[in-house]
Amino acid sequence: MAAATYHAEHGTLLERFFARNRGPILVAPALAVLVIMNIFPLLWSFGLSFYRYRANRIKEPEFVWFKNYQKVLTDPVVWERFQTTAIIVAVDVLLQLVVGFLLALLFEKTFPGRRVLLMLVLTPMMLSFVAVGAFFRYYYEPTFGLLSQGIKAITGEPFILLGSEVGALAGIIFADVWMWSPFVMLLVLAGLVSVPKHLYEAAEIDRASWWRRFWTITFPYIRGLLLLAILFRTIEAFKLFDIVFLITEGGPGTSTETIAVYVYRVAFQYFKTSQSAALGYILLFVVIVLTNLYLFFVRRRAEEEP
Amino acid sequence: MAQLRLTALTKSYGSVHALRGVDLEVEDGEFFVLFGPSAAGKTTTLRVIAGLEKPDGGTLMVDGQDLAGVPVKRRDMAMVFQSFALYPHLTTFQNLAYPLREMKMRRAEIDSRVRETAELLRITHTLDRRPASLSGGEQQRLAIGRAIIRQPRLFLFDEPLTNLDAKLRHDMRAEFKRLHRELGTTTIYATPDQLEALSIGERIAVIQHGQITQVDTPERLYAKPIDRHVASLIGDPPINLVRGTLKLGGNTGPAIELPFMELDGNPWREGLQALDAGTELLVGIRPHDLALVEENGDGVPATIEITEPQGDITILDLSAEGVALRMVVAEATGARYTAGDSVRIALAGADTRLFLSDSGTMVA
Repeated sequence: MAAATYHAEHGTLLERFFARNRGPILVAPALAVLVIMNIFPLLWSFGLSFYRYRANRIKEPEFVWFKNYQKVLTDPVVWERFQTTAIIVAVDVLLQLVVGFLLALLFEKTFPGRRVLLMLVLTPMMLSFVAVGAFFRYYYEPTFGLLSQGIKAITGEPFILLGSEVGALAGIIFADVWMWSPFVMLLVLAGLVSVPKHLYEAAEIDRASWWRRFWTITFPYIRGLLLLAILFRTIEAFKLFDIVFLITEGGPGTSTETIAVYVYRVAFQYFKTSQSAALGYILLFVVIVLTNLYLFFVRRRAEEEP
Repeated sequence: MAQLRLTALTKSYGSVHALRGVDLEVEDGEFFVLFGPSAAGKTTTLRVIAGLEKPDGGTLMVDGQDLAGVPVKRRDMAMVFQSFALYPHLTTFQNLAYPLREMKMRRAEIDSRVRETAELLRITHTLDRRPASLSGGEQQRLAIGRAIIRQPRLFLFDEPLTNLDAKLRHDMRAEFKRLHRELGTTTIYATPDQLEALSIGERIAVIQHGQITQVDTPERLYAKPIDRHVASLIGDPPINLVRGTLKLGGNTGPAIELPFMELDGNPWREGLQALDAGTELLVGIRPHDLALVEENGDGVPATIEITEPQGDITILDLSAEGVALRMVVAEATGARYTAGDSVRIALAGADTRLFLSDSGTMVA
């Protein structure tokens, strides 16, 4: 501070400027990147959603007020995509919770090989979406994919998982559960290890059953983290794009086309740029509502806690 | 109600030997105190009895039944932990009802038992609150309540008062006595506090380094400590241990040569007969057994190093011929002196003990 003050009063004009504004100057590059890459496109696309505009036509954008929103919200296709997304979110998140929870119960105990196994289980979470998508695409491949080969060995027929609507949904959900259950596990595990050991001992002496012990002692410690896991996973699943696009591209037909994939199609295949911007903002709005809903519950829980 | 017998119980945690052969017998309905410094093995002993730890060796019998292999749930004991271990997300009512829920008890009966227990422990006003909003004393009473509500055959209390302030501790000591009188359940109570041990125990076991060194009533533990360690653990302020040498063959019988005086050895004549002249001894003098004597009287000169007023009494830290001694005087007497004063002291009581210097065992 003393040095800065010294420079602020002496030295050239430039030196003095730098000395006085050191903090802002240091933050400036990061802020610039954030504004250019993040905030500006966000605002620009928001503005765009009020115009009639197609990115592949040389035509002046025309201001149309809420017409894009109106069009999007009355479009039955959009609602269909929302439904598909809702099914995926519901099943996906539920399975992640169950699998993640069971994994956490497993890894709470110490057993030989725990560290190695834990590392293996955590790996999917750290892979890139593209890798996971490509991996499962090959895995489900009817002619040489492992799944098909395995079933062929039993039934003699190759198995086309992604050929049916239910199969394609299951394939996508399985891939996402495989990738993100470890995340739920980590959160639950953090809750499990935070339970004071002497409470379990007291419960043992009080002769509580496993079930009661779980609900009265363990569960309260993981409830908050579980809510957090649901929140994160729901938001992520709601935006699910990469895995769907890589494994099924929304097919067969449009049966696995999530809302995020649909936004992509509207924007870059139908080139209804402004309409996709509007849909994107509706998506954002839904996520914000979901987030606040969860935060509301989390906060209410926190107030109930001592 | 239960009668308990531990035989040669051992338990190690890696290279740490927590219990090195504990033998203990607790009578039916007894209030038994397990007293010892921290890390002596008190908690481990209780945990082994409760079944939370498996002993490496030895046997544990309750009412003649070997408890090896009997799970915690079927031992029918209740334990109060040092940390209380209250269920933080349950209310006082739910905490108290917790042990009853597994007993297939009717709701109405659970309700009345909880209210009865809460009343007994004066925590009725906290029934709808969670432990975190209770005071230390209320939490303590809740922990006790959860233990007594099931009416088990044995209570295990693991330093239940250690986390409370002095005033509360005092009140709770009386509470424990009252409860025991009302319930009559066999109780094992671990504490590192000698005042607590002496004031509530019917019998006390002194445990040190994973071994029981002496089991006795509070009175006898104070009067006849088996060795210098027990002697220095019991009594407040702690006993003075002064090095001395045995002198035999004088006209008046055996004597012990202390740096500041010569002690008549006749009261211990029988025990001293077996020893050689010149044997190093430790003389244990209770601070209450030293008295100030008139100037020019008998007694030995000493200098006051520190005065510690305790309210009704004052502890004087003295130095006599380079030997540090503690004595207790009435507050009014103590107020007359300050550090640096010269006084004369004499041995006034009959509670003086002799210990062998090398082994520390008492000379009968």
